[in-house]
Amino acid sequence: MMHNPENLVEMRGIDKRFAHVYALKSVDFEIRRGEVHSLLGENGAGKSTLIKVLTGVYPKDGGEIYFDGKPVEINSRDDAFNLGIACIFQELSLVPTLTVAQNIMLGKEKAKLGVLQKKSMNREVSELIKRFDFPLRAEDVVETLSVAQRQMVEILKALSTNASLIIMDEPTASLSSKESEMLFRIIGQLREKGVSILYISHRLEEVFQLSDRITVLRDGQLVGVVPKEEIVPADVIRMMIGKELSEATASRPLKVSDAHTVLQVRNLTRLGSFEDVSFEVKAGEVLVLAGLVGSGRTEVLRSVYGADPIDSGTVLFEGKPYRHSVSTAIRLGFGLIPEDRRTQGFAPLLSGTRNVAVTNYDKLSRLGVVNAKKEKQLGETMVKLVDLRPANPTVPVGNLSGGNQQKVVLGKWLTRDLKVILIDEPTVGIDVGAKDEIYNFIEQLAARGVAVLLVSSDVAEVLRVATRILVMRNGKVVHEFNDGVVTQENILLVSSGMAEDHRTEAKE
Amino acid sequence: MRQEMLRRYISFGLLAALVLAFSLTSEFFFTSNNIYNLLRESSIVGILAIGITMTIITGGNDLSCGALLGLDAMVISRLLYVNEANVWIAITAALAVSLLGGLFNGFLVAILRIPDFIATLSSKFVFSGLTLMFAIRSATGMITTKTLSDPTIKWFGGKLDFGLYYVTIAFFALAILSQFLLKNTRLGVHTYAIGSNRNSAELSGISYIKTKFAAFVMSGFCAFVGSLFFLGKIRAADTESGIGMEFQAISAAVIGGCAFTGGRGDVVGTVIGVLFLKVLENGVLKFNLSTEMQKVLTGSVIVIMLVFDAAYNKYMQAKTSKSAVIAREKREKKVGAQ
Amino acid sequence: MKGKNLSVAQLLYKYRQLLILAALCIFFAAALPGMFFTMSNFRSILYSMSLYGLMICGATFPVLLGGIDRTVGAVAALSGAICCMIIVNSGYTNQGVVLGILAGVGVGMLSGIIHGVIVAHFDIPAFLLTLATSQVIYGLVQVTTGKELIVVMKPALFTDIGAKRILEIPVPVYVLLICFIVAYFLLNHSTYGRRIYSVGGNREASKLSGINVKRTTITAYMMSGMMAAIAGIVLSSMNQQALSYAADGYENDVLAAIVVGGVSLRGGAGTLQGAIFGSLLIGMLNNGLRLMGVESIYHNFIKGIIIIAAVAADMYSSYQMSGLKHRGGKKHPHKQAAGENQ
Repeated sequence: MMHNPENLVEMRGIDKRFAHVYALKSVDFEIRRGEVHSLLGENGAGKSTLIKVLTGVYPKDGGEIYFDGKPVEINSRDDAFNLGIACIFQELSLVPTLTVAQNIMLGKEKAKLGVLQKKSMNREVSELIKRFDFPLRAEDVVETLSVAQRQMVEILKALSTNASLIIMDEPTASLSSKESEMLFRIIGQLREKGVSILYISHRLEEVFQLSDRITVLRDGQLVGVVPKEEIVPADVIRMMIGKELSEATASRPLKVSDAHTVLQVRNLTRLGSFEDVSFEVKAGEVLVLAGLVGSGRTEVLRSVYGADPIDSGTVLFEGKPYRHSVSTAIRLGFGLIPEDRRTQGFAPLLSGTRNVAVTNYDKLSRLGVVNAKKEKQLGETMVKLVDLRPANPTVPVGNLSGGNQQKVVLGKWLTRDLKVILIDEPTVGIDVGAKDEIYNFIEQLAARGVAVLLVSSDVAEVLRVATRILVMRNGKVVHEFNDGVVTQENILLVSSGMAEDHRTEAKE
Repeated sequence: MRQEMLRRYISFGLLAALVLAFSLTSEFFFTSNNIYNLLRESSIVGILAIGITMTIITGGNDLSCGALLGLDAMVISRLLYVNEANVWIAITAALAVSLLGGLFNGFLVAILRIPDFIATLSSKFVFSGLTLMFAIRSATGMITTKTLSDPTIKWFGGKLDFGLYYVTIAFFALAILSQFLLKNTRLGVHTYAIGSNRNSAELSGISYIKTKFAAFVMSGFCAFVGSLFFLGKIRAADTESGIGMEFQAISAAVIGGCAFTGGRGDVVGTVIGVLFLKVLENGVLKFNLSTEMQKVLTGSVIVIMLVFDAAYNKYMQAKTSKSAVIAREKREKKVGAQ
Repeated sequence: MKGKNLSVAQLLYKYRQLLILAALCIFFAAALPGMFFTMSNFRSILYSMSLYGLMICGATFPVLLGGIDRTVGAVAALSGAICCMIIVNSGYTNQGVVLGILAGVGVGMLSGIIHGVIVAHFDIPAFLLTLATSQVIYGLVQVTTGKELIVVMKPALFTDIGAKRILEIPVPVYVLLICFIVAYFLLNHSTYGRRIYSVGGNREASKLSGINVKRTTITAYMMSGMMAAIAGIVLSSMNQQALSYAADGYENDVLAAIVVGGVSLRGGAGTLQGAIFGSLLIGMLNNGLRLMGVESIYHNFIKGIIIIAAVAADMYSSYQMSGLKHRGGKKHPHKQAAGENQ
């Protein structure tokens, strides 16, 4: 096989299976020296898996990796690190109470007989900072820095190890737009200095603006590599989605329901999270809040539910305002399926029955005394209702599979007389079969006349369940799809800001 | 301002205010005798507090060091009195016991993964149990305390001609040494890193197990040093020696700015904390105030410090979070536009 | 039906506490014929553990929330002192006794509420907070008593609490039984108990399910303060005097029993009966060892070893549990699991 000497990294025919399911199938991937290379693909396309193979987190099941023209085995993060591959993760990995210099030198301090050579380390770090002209000082303590500055420290930490490839996974997710601009400038500088960047972002705008080349993955397979000159946004998006998809799953007819309005949100604002958000949800409707991660969708959901405070605006339930608290919302018939079920959805050590009963004690108790029989019945009802497997409500929920855990969270609300259900990313980390079941529940709920407000980043999922779609970007509702046929492409273009915004104002 | 600096000012301010108040109201306070005695009183607790500071910075705790001090003292007493051993052999034995004690704690916490405070609480029971087993007995089998007359042990209780006790010198020397260790050595940086963000420290190749062991062994060593001067002062070990001292030491560390979540605080702060506690005690005794008022006061100071830390952290978190920053920028823009 | 699903090993595991207790009983009964297995010996075991048991009935609540309450010893001293002072000031009348008990319990509840409020509103490590506040409370006890020993040898209504026997069983055991039933009922049959387990199991999920987490926390510490106060009153009645340091160090034994009884320090798992078993186990061990002529000097040592063994076993089994949970990704460092989505 011929090796292009321009290539820093070459991955050939990479396979990765999880329990007989291919996460990556014979993927070829290469990064040149000193280029910004983006990896694009929808959720589950295999981006993270590929990076994890490259950084030694996952062992590969087949294929070869060449670094600097030489075949290499990367079996651990240390291996990747030693080759000069550095990773900047979404959750920053700095030590907050140490200084910039100490963080950059962490684990490789210069010391004589264990005594640090502070001056020389600070000098070295200062020079590094000066080389890139970052607004930082070596003596600054990390916890006093902004998120963007911390990211710069991470970049420097990577550079200090002479990394020749820096992987940036959603680096702008928690940056303001000004800070993002600064990051882009830094990326430019790094490229000039011959460092390769592997860039992953949901924000297509950024990707198109920054990348020298783009590799597109779909369903664990390579779709194509697009050089900068040939980037046409609509084409790239089509590559991500796949043209061969049948019309039925790639698009969805929408319509405005004529049922009565259950939930009405008017000019809702929470500074820093979302602004001037207005919409209404009617009985039996599935209104989807689409958009990118960090566009303020989850925050809207939590505020409507009363879990987060609001700065201005009103929320009306069946035409009347209500006290802004979770317990009031639940009493009125609200339910919430939170974003991260593990940390917000259930108590892992408690049984399914106990988890489901938490929201139902108003009916299961009298004068504060639990009716154990009714509680047990509720558990059994839940098992049947959501088709829990194993069909045993006494198993601690932490021992169930992801899909069944989500079913228990769903069961918390299905057993109640619901009017509104707020659902946040319901199928993240759930296998395909269980996904379908969850969509069926959502549809059943809507058919019963429940108003459904759903947040999802998975465009296929949006098209599967939505009757109406609002797209949010940077904390604002920028577009509404409420009639006609909508396609994945439409949604992606609007979400990433590549298409004109258009909001048909809700009529009175 | 950073929490550390703020806390340093507060604890130092409290100490200064206390010293000022007592020196203005009592001509007694600033006599050299009183000062030297005060420092002597501070020193043994202070030595323990240095060790505890190390463990707290790693995000842990050491409730056993008081009992370990008692055990060391008992080992020395027993070897000297019952076995009539050479004093240096006795001291070496105590050192070995201390280091083993530290390793034992490290084993419980780092290897068996028992939460620090419950692990060291159990080892406190173990150490105080061992102290009882080693206790010196009379002919009838009753536990007795025997006064030691060994000149080396006596020396540890001695002082310089002008009145400064050796124990104080040892305390400050140990404090300077460990401050240097924390701030200027590789181990020190690793100690902070493990306490502040264990995950990223480990990703940078720092060993959690080694760092934890090091902290507990240092704490054990401090207990050993403390036991020598304890014996020098009291000249006898009983079965209750040292027990409870760890609480004073923890109080000192907390007043001095150590955060129980780890990664914060240093020995200088702890020294200030110890002096604060002891000046308060001293003043209370001199003014014939009730000692219980002193307890109420120190307890309240600690609670206030804890609440301060928590509130400050909440405030800082809110301030640095992205949404808050954007919200602030927006508000400022709005004000500017008007 | 449920039993059929459990294997022998699981059954053994489920009833391990009972089994250990039974084995210990048999061992001591065999080693100490005619001494251990007697009514009077069991009476003394129960009598000596009743105070710890009372405190456990309260202190388990905050532990189930993932917190801890180390003020139980101090609160017991405070309530005993207040109760005794009121009785003395009332001229040793029965009304004084009733008033004293109410006031003592009230003060305990108040202390619990204050702790609960601080813990609920600020994210302060409860261990450290209660360590500091127990100093404050001990100080307050001495201030209120003026460091005097308050002797209360009458009226009978008061002294009977600690000294009398009904049907050959000492009254404190009945008090424990009543408090245990109340706490057991609360934890196992009330919505409040369900909330405790839920909040201990997952705070955020509980909040989103409409549970008032702050109120749950505050009432848990209130329960702890209340039970400690009752224990304090029983203790002062046993001693017929209030002594500021009578219950000093009890918090360690209470904590030890709770931990040995299988209540997880991370909250959300464990039972009150388990904690009581823990205290029975420690009490029986102390008793048996003493009867066997093992000097009390070994008790501390043994207690320490038992706690270590219990917690290490708890850690090990939860580690096994987590191993099961990540069955698929066992080869990979668990730290990566969080980043798997996206």
